Amino acid sequence: MNYETVIGIEIHCELKTKTKMFSSAPVSFAKHQNSCVNEIDLGHPGTLPSVNKEAVIQALKACMALNCTIDPVLRFDRKNYYYPDLPKGYQITQQFHPVGLRGSVTIETAAGKRDVRINRLHMEEDTAKQFHYATETWIDYNRAGTPLVEIVSEPDMRSADEAVAFVEKLRTLLYYLGVSDVKMEEGSMRCDINISLRPEGTREYGVKTEIKNLNSINNIRLAVESEIIRQTAILAAGDKVEQATRRYDDTLKTTVMMRKKEGNVDYKYFPEPNIPPIRLTAEWIEEIRSSLPELPEQRSIRYTEILGLSDYDAKILTQNKELSDYFDEVLNYTTFTKLAANWCISELPAVVSQENLSELHTTLTPKSLASMIDKIGQNVVSSKQAKEIFPHLIKGESLQSIIDRLHISQVSDTAELSDIINKTLDEQPQSIIDYHNGKDRALGFLVGQIMKKTKGQANPVITNELLLAELKRRKPE
Amino acid sequence: MNIKETKNISTPNERVEKALKLAHQGQPFLNAVVTFVDPENQLENLKNIHPDAAFYGIPIVLKDNVNMKSIKTTAGSHILANYVSQYNATITDRLQAAGAIVIAKSSMDELGMGGTNLTAATGPVYNPYDLSRMSGGSSGGSAVLVASGVVPFAIGTDTGDSVRKPASFNGIIGVKPSYGRISRYGIIPYASSLDHVGYFTRNVADAALALEVLAGRDDLDMTSSFEEVEKYSANLNGDLSHRKIGYIANVVRAIENQDVLTMFNSLIEKVQSTGAEVVPIEMNEDLLNAILPTYYIIANSEATANHSNLDGLRFGVQQAGNDIEEIMSASRTAGFGKLIRKRFVIGSFSLFVENQEKLFRKAQKVRRLIVEDLYRALNGVDGLLAPASSCGAPKLQDNSLDQLSSRYLIAENFMVISNFSGTPSLTQPLGYVDGLPVGINLICHPFEEKKMFEIAAGLEKLTGLADCIREVGE
Repeated sequence: MNYETVIGIEIHCELKTKTKMFSSAPVSFAKHQNSCVNEIDLGHPGTLPSVNKEAVIQALKACMALNCTIDPVLRFDRKNYYYPDLPKGYQITQQFHPVGLRGSVTIETAAGKRDVRINRLHMEEDTAKQFHYATETWIDYNRAGTPLVEIVSEPDMRSADEAVAFVEKLRTLLYYLGVSDVKMEEGSMRCDINISLRPEGTREYGVKTEIKNLNSINNIRLAVESEIIRQTAILAAGDKVEQATRRYDDTLKTTVMMRKKEGNVDYKYFPEPNIPPIRLTAEWIEEIRSSLPELPEQRSIRYTEILGLSDYDAKILTQNKELSDYFDEVLNYTTFTKLAANWCISELPAVVSQENLSELHTTLTPKSLASMIDKIGQNVVSSKQAKEIFPHLIKGESLQSIIDRLHISQVSDTAELSDIINKTLDEQPQSIIDYHNGKDRALGFLVGQIMKKTKGQANPVITNELLLAELKRRKPE
Repeated sequence: MNIKETKNISTPNERVEKALKLAHQGQPFLNAVVTFVDPENQLENLKNIHPDAAFYGIPIVLKDNVNMKSIKTTAGSHILANYVSQYNATITDRLQAAGAIVIAKSSMDELGMGGTNLTAATGPVYNPYDLSRMSGGSSGGSAVLVASGVVPFAIGTDTGDSVRKPASFNGIIGVKPSYGRISRYGIIPYASSLDHVGYFTRNVADAALALEVLAGRDDLDMTSSFEEVEKYSANLNGDLSHRKIGYIANVVRAIENQDVLTMFNSLIEKVQSTGAEVVPIEMNEDLLNAILPTYYIIANSEATANHSNLDGLRFGVQQAGNDIEEIMSASRTAGFGKLIRKRFVIGSFSLFVENQEKLFRKAQKVRRLIVEDLYRALNGVDGLLAPASSCGAPKLQDNSLDQLSSRYLIAENFMVISNFSGTPSLTQPLGYVDGLPVGINLICHPFEEKKMFEIAAGLEKLTGLADCIREVGE
């Protein structure tokens, strides 16, 4: 029997605010442990939460990018459970009235496009981070209270490819919005995947497992693929999949059981009495909507429809926000759009790593790259020469200084080139005859002679044109 | 003598010294203090404060659920026996900025849950008018320290009637302003939607002055109000002639004690003789009977979450255990009194998914109905009066009152309506029954504290009961 895979994904994403969700303590990654905390984050008796307006703005932006309906009344609830990483003994979240409802995003895989529905987006606070050692557990409260959004999809994905496409889509969107670092390795974006199988053609959902703690896109793919294999084998043997929380084990290359689901935990949710409902005015929501940055889809359309780039170029560029931001800046200084795109897509990434892209502006300014692209476009330097120039340009040396130092500027002046061509032809009468007798090699020989005289700096295109014209003129009677 | 007058006839050092002397003198008899606070640094800091500041050099007391940095804050519970505050409550800052000198943290029912002060970890607080009787609670220590002449002002908190009931039992003024009028930041909570910061004074002028110091928006408390803070103490002339005042007929009816009724009726007559109109107002008896069960469900539900941080790991005295769960369980079992554990169980039970609709949510609906009925009763009158208790302070071990009687459900617990509704309310002395004080309660419209103090000033003139002190332990 063939089985259809059904996947739903929950994503926790840390927002990029200066301060915590409910306190004025700073948010920062990798600071000295327990240094970014105040009495509120530590849940000291008597403290009260104050909602971080910036976090609300960022959550609203995320809602908008995911096409969610926004609840204009912001309400929070308490989720009660005892755990050392939860200082207050409850987490403030949005159980009953999430800020965003019923959104959707379109993903694309080799199998085609698919709309994935978003069930909800809600705000909450992160827990502290635990470090388990052999006999002790250490807790770093820096993360406690960091603003989070939780995004829950409907079970609309059908393959590992689609799961990966969905997570990548959300990552890119949230990154473009500037609301999160979306670094899975550092935990600023965390992903739980619900996965079940059902006989192809049936509609009822099978028993699902939840895979937690996936810390890279690659692990999502591996985890889903291995879980499909595992569940298929169970079902094929006539057994039942056990509802459980699992994790992906890198060394075993499969998912392993973390804990069984034994009934649902009752979190005793109830409305947070310390945060009165906050009404968001329509004007304020619209103000935020109008401040949304250009998102990847819009950018891609601009590239193809206005700039005339290919779909492929547009896709490659928009996949990488830093790269396409850089490309857009280069375009401020040059009109050779296609050339600029080529350089940004193939040459830049070849020499600059992703991490250094954002710092590139300081060494290779967009203006400086644009000036070289202009020279190529205007046939002042050849593409081959540009590749010689580029390693120096990227170190911050000015274009003119490189050209001067390496003597690699082209001779494009037609009068000067005509002189050299005439002189060469005068010296090589036999080649003229050979050329007209159909010996193609003669043309190459003549170009070689001209290049020798110009130390290789004759513009090949112009040289070719002028040489052919002169040869035609000197055709023997 | 009110605070303004006191400031003119003594120095801060004299006042503080006298307060500490009285406090130590009364402590063996009253047991009202949990922790004495060294006033030296605070007195030293007065050089940075203008002598005209409202509380300049005035000794005061904080209930022991108010955080004061570097001072122990136990909230009357064994579990917090080792908790030293890491920060100041907003009101601690405001009081100190106004020149107040905190001399002690006062006893309270454990975590504010109770009306007797018998559940305090440090033992009962005794009534200065009769040491065999209770102070009332949960702000019993603060009430007694004001009533026994130690300090002219003390902070309390009021979730059910925890300021206004002990004020009645101790012959002083107990104020609970509108919800959101005073910041709750830094106060160890009981039930957040019902908790109010309140306070005790011995006269209406001080009560009005104190609110000017305490009130105002605090960004650290999202439920605190942006409503303007008025000059409550200005022009308090006590003129009642143009007032229309109601009294809650159901409460009066539920009182059996003839002395209390006589005092109440006589005051009503005096009020009428000023030219004020006084009207009996009937409230929905079923809803009044529902106040207490509704209160228990809401308050205990919120409380069980509010105190989840006291688990022996991060806060609270830690008990031994083999794993985290055992440590938490053992610490909470040993740290909380029996009554608290019972309340937590009721609260948790009310929040369980299968019970939440028929208990917690239903209680919230009933709360709304009660509040609507109160607004109906307040409609057209400046305020509502009723005796604040049906008798003087009970004996310490008195369990005789039938908890299903309307005397208990209505006369002893109606003041909770101001916690449900957030309406401002105060209790002031009405008179004495067998030498024991009994108070009268006043409820006004939200944020009409100015009017509340004006009416109270008028009543104070009529009763002649201001600045009542009962010193103990000469």
